[in-house]
Amino acid sequence: MDIRSNRRDADGQSVITANRLLDGITVWRAADGSWKERITESTPVSNTEVEGLLSSLQGKAQELGLVGIYGVQVQDSPDGRIVPVTSRERIRAFGPSVHPEFSPL
Amino acid sequence: MSTETMTRAEAAPAVLPVGRYGYDQVDRTFLRERIEQFRDQVNRRIAGDLTEEEFKPLRLMNGLYLQLHAYMLRVAVPYGTLGSKQVRALARIAREFDKGYGHFTTRQNIQFNWIKLEDTVAALEVLAEADMHAIQTSGNCIRNITSDEFAGAAKDELLDPRVHAEILRQWSTLHPEFTFLPRKFKFAISGSPHDRVVARFHDIGLIARPGPHGRPVFEVFVGGGLGRTPLVGVSLRDDLPEEDLLAYMEAILRVYNAHGRRDNIYKARIKILVQALGTDEFRRQVEEEFAAMDRARYRIEPALVEAIKARFGAPDFAPEGNAAAVLAEDRRRDVRFDAWVRTNTHEHKAPGYISLVVSLKPAGGIPGDATAEQLDLLADLADEFSFGELRVTHLQNVVLGHVRQDQLHTVWQRLSQAGLGTANVNFITDIVACPGLDYCALANARSIPIAQKLSSRFADLELQREIGDLRINISGCINACGHHHAAHLGILGVDKRGQEAFQITLGGSGEEDASIGQILGPAMAEDETVDAVARLIDLYLVRRENGERFLDTYRRVGTAAFKDVVYAPA
Repeated sequence: MDIRSNRRDADGQSVITANRLLDGITVWRAADGSWKERITESTPVSNTEVEGLLSSLQGKAQELGLVGIYGVQVQDSPDGRIVPVTSRERIRAFGPSVHPEFSPL
Repeated sequence: MSTETMTRAEAAPAVLPVGRYGYDQVDRTFLRERIEQFRDQVNRRIAGDLTEEEFKPLRLMNGLYLQLHAYMLRVAVPYGTLGSKQVRALARIAREFDKGYGHFTTRQNIQFNWIKLEDTVAALEVLAEADMHAIQTSGNCIRNITSDEFAGAAKDELLDPRVHAEILRQWSTLHPEFTFLPRKFKFAISGSPHDRVVARFHDIGLIARPGPHGRPVFEVFVGGGLGRTPLVGVSLRDDLPEEDLLAYMEAILRVYNAHGRRDNIYKARIKILVQALGTDEFRRQVEEEFAAMDRARYRIEPALVEAIKARFGAPDFAPEGNAAAVLAEDRRRDVRFDAWVRTNTHEHKAPGYISLVVSLKPAGGIPGDATAEQLDLLADLADEFSFGELRVTHLQNVVLGHVRQDQLHTVWQRLSQAGLGTANVNFITDIVACPGLDYCALANARSIPIAQKLSSRFADLELQREIGDLRINISGCINACGHHHAAHLGILGVDKRGQEAFQITLGGSGEEDASIGQILGPAMAEDETVDAVARLIDLYLVRRENGERFLDTYRRVGTAAFKDVVYAPA
């Protein structure tokens, strides 16, 4: 787990993220187990479940074509979207702030 | 033909590139073989025959990082000198394999932020076609040798450092003993008494000057560096003869390799070893190693230096004519051009010529970014006006080294049409910033947006002229890639419980009067930091005495008054 993502409240929720092996693009795990470029398509799991899910997924990283699978704590924003709690993961999710045209959203 | 059977003489290039070493077929064969090795490694990684853990050191050896949003490829520009063909190759990579941009760094490298793993080999092939590569731009090895952006052109230069930079490059590339050092290792070399390479903040900084019998001698600074533990390098030798350059460098590296700490990444740089041993003991150990070496094996004979020098193309300067008078008349007729000449040019040693700095810091822009179109234009201008040669600077700008004074107005007009005519070099908006949290996996905070806000806030050119020389550097984490410690006014991004915040440092300098900026106080939010910088500038304008730069006033007045305006505004 990336140390800066290690801010996980016991009663919070997290989404699972990784980078794609072939192009390095950030992806997020959806409810059906597919991996999406938009965090808005991901599905949070409770922080009590996230470690178990991560260890099973990390063993399949090569098969999934992914690198560096880890969990990111999220919260609901006022407009109902899920948003990572840290600046780092918000930038990872929404793209470089200095080039909005590069945002995956 | 293999590298074993081809001699260097057989392979010598027919046309020499101006300002840098001409590759021959041996060099090109080596690069092709290296690319084929990496192609196989990438294929094995994609097939799953290599794990990420196994592959990571292999991709890093070829300059390929995995950052926040994608892979990033870092390309070395040895001693900062580029040919127009090379710049066009960089433009092609930006266009075909990235999102249209390249980003020049503080280490005279260029980075591409959106490279796909599956395209990396093709990108390396484009580089190799232009005699470039990404080897040793990562890892615990000797990194790109940096040099003065005005090398071979500056009027104040005593000695062109690029030939010795090239000798160091050849010595250090894939050096078997120094491929796995305790940490990365950075060299800088200059031939001017004015330190334009930040020599005192490098693992080894070399300042060359003419010595006895017309051969160079070197002052050797060791153990400088920024990052978590910023330190000014100590002068180890003032008079290192040219013939012993490689032997002495090897002796330093051996002492470091043997005793540098590998148990703690934060204490692994040579600066920590030098401090731990003390300068005298470190020097004693280096001298002991130096004395025990087979010096003859390492000796750089003048004939070798001249042979390397002969592989550099030299500009064929035209007679001065009335070039200076034409420039004076152009300046008189065009006040905007005159303002740009005052800030963005540097005196040339050849009569009738001048060096110009292309600012990559337009108002509100991203420091160091150049589009593919801008790169192509720079290559065209280099071909038309500067012997096909360009340089990149540690301050994230580009230099055309040898422009005739009577052609300067034309060059400036062409630059201005492409958004490259900003007249702000060494002013408050000539900001250095690392990629920060917008791209970098190690960063704690974004550097670019605060640079853009400051650049917009102080965009008025009259105000910038009024403020005068003021260096602002911004880093997004303690690793200090933005060299904030060496800035008159430094800004460091920190992580406050997952949120970005910024600390201000004052009083740093990377030049002959090298000093480390002092932290002013607690970190603040981004907008508060921009306001605080504005108050610092106001105080400086009120308190400065005749001819004082911001740094001079700060050093005279002291920290307390500046701290007051930041943390207790009226």
